[in-house]
Amino acid sequence: MDKKKLNAVKAISLAVVVFAMSVAGCLFYEHRNYKEPVVVSEYITEVKKLSDYSDVIKGTVNDCNVYIFDSGIEGGCMLIWGGTHAEEPAGVMAANIFTENLKVTQGKVIIIDRENTSASTNTRVGEAYPRFFTYETDWGTKVWRYGDRHANQLDSWPDPEVYIHYPSGQTLANVDIRNTNRNWPGKADGLLTERTNYAIMQLIDAEGVDMTLDFHEAELEYTVENTIVVHEKGNEVAAMTSMLLTSQTFDVAIGMEFSPVALHGLSHREIGDYSDAASYLVEVAEPMLDRIRGITDEELLMSGKDIFVIKAGEHGLLYAPIDEEGWPIEKRVARHVATATTLMEVNNTVHPDQTILIENIPTYDEMMEEGLGSYFHNPDTAPAERVYYD
Amino acid sequence: MSILVCINLIFTICTYAVTLFFLIAIIRAFIDTKNIQEAPVYCMIMIPFILRLLRLK
Repeated sequence: MDKKKLNAVKAISLAVVVFAMSVAGCLFYEHRNYKEPVVVSEYITEVKKLSDYSDVIKGTVNDCNVYIFDSGIEGGCMLIWGGTHAEEPAGVMAANIFTENLKVTQGKVIIIDRENTSASTNTRVGEAYPRFFTYETDWGTKVWRYGDRHANQLDSWPDPEVYIHYPSGQTLANVDIRNTNRNWPGKADGLLTERTNYAIMQLIDAEGVDMTLDFHEAELEYTVENTIVVHEKGNEVAAMTSMLLTSQTFDVAIGMEFSPVALHGLSHREIGDYSDAASYLVEVAEPMLDRIRGITDEELLMSGKDIFVIKAGEHGLLYAPIDEEGWPIEKRVARHVATATTLMEVNNTVHPDQTILIENIPTYDEMMEEGLGSYFHNPDTAPAERVYYD
Repeated sequence: MSILVCINLIFTICTYAVTLFFLIAIIRAFIDTKNIQEAPVYCMIMIPFILRLLRLK
């Protein structure tokens, strides 16, 4: 082999690889470091960090913002969060609707937009997920990170061979050590996700939370779909909420399921067991998560339209209906927001001592008719003291 | 610090050390190779090691 020719091949190879690696590296860096601006409601009373409730999370990527809306009038307290699974955008968007608009006139509401921030800096290997998702508003484009259901390996690694849930001792899939909805109630000296949930349990105790709501989305091939999963403490409230929403508001019914007693680590089970709060989790259909889907891009994520998923539905393979209209993000977010507000209203009647009264949150019909854009505010023109970053 | 967290920390440090070791080995192989087909391959397999050391991926 001609040495000159060999050196030329090496130089060209190196140049091509350095170029490709630089482009990829920039894209990875941008995804990992993008901060989501949030213009908090003018009625917010306080913004804390999760580490204000427990030092175990201090200095980590999961030390998230905690948005507190306290009316100062005695009543109930509800904690709502999105972003447990960062590939389920309706959760974080619904939480943002509350954070950016909420006014509480009795009781207290606490919002966490990103429960597992680390997961939102991750992606699912081999799935061609987009890095970001966006929503058009009157003032421009609002951007969020699109992630995975597990915390980033750069923040929590290695995973154990077998994940033994604390404190039940139940064995779970090893990768679920990085799934915050598999390690409630958390562990003060555990790995990142266990410490995150431990800190939130401290928040629940410190703030006297009466009910919690965890926003999720699920593939249509999955049985737990379009439903409220509830700890036995909240059975009455969830059942009434399900009936009200199904009969008066939603075009597709929302069900109610009991939290399995023997399945550990999930928010609807462990928060109810290890705190005074009644714990709820709500699911809505997200066709992007279906294994049978076609092109995986932001268009599918936001429109919820996919011909292959529709075809699966025609063959009776799904647990939720789908047609040419798909499951657009407006519908998914509106269902979450309406479920949260209805849970509050029903809880007010079942437990009057826990009354929470709120204003300024759009109804399901308003979001379906007008879209979501007018409920997200422009961080460039908002007063600086109202702009936070998740 | 719990035993689990301590073990994880040790493994993480070891991982970065091993990653650096293999990256150096690949760079040496790339420099030494006289096979024109191996050179681009060595270049490509450096990528994940570099991205990991830079904590980008």
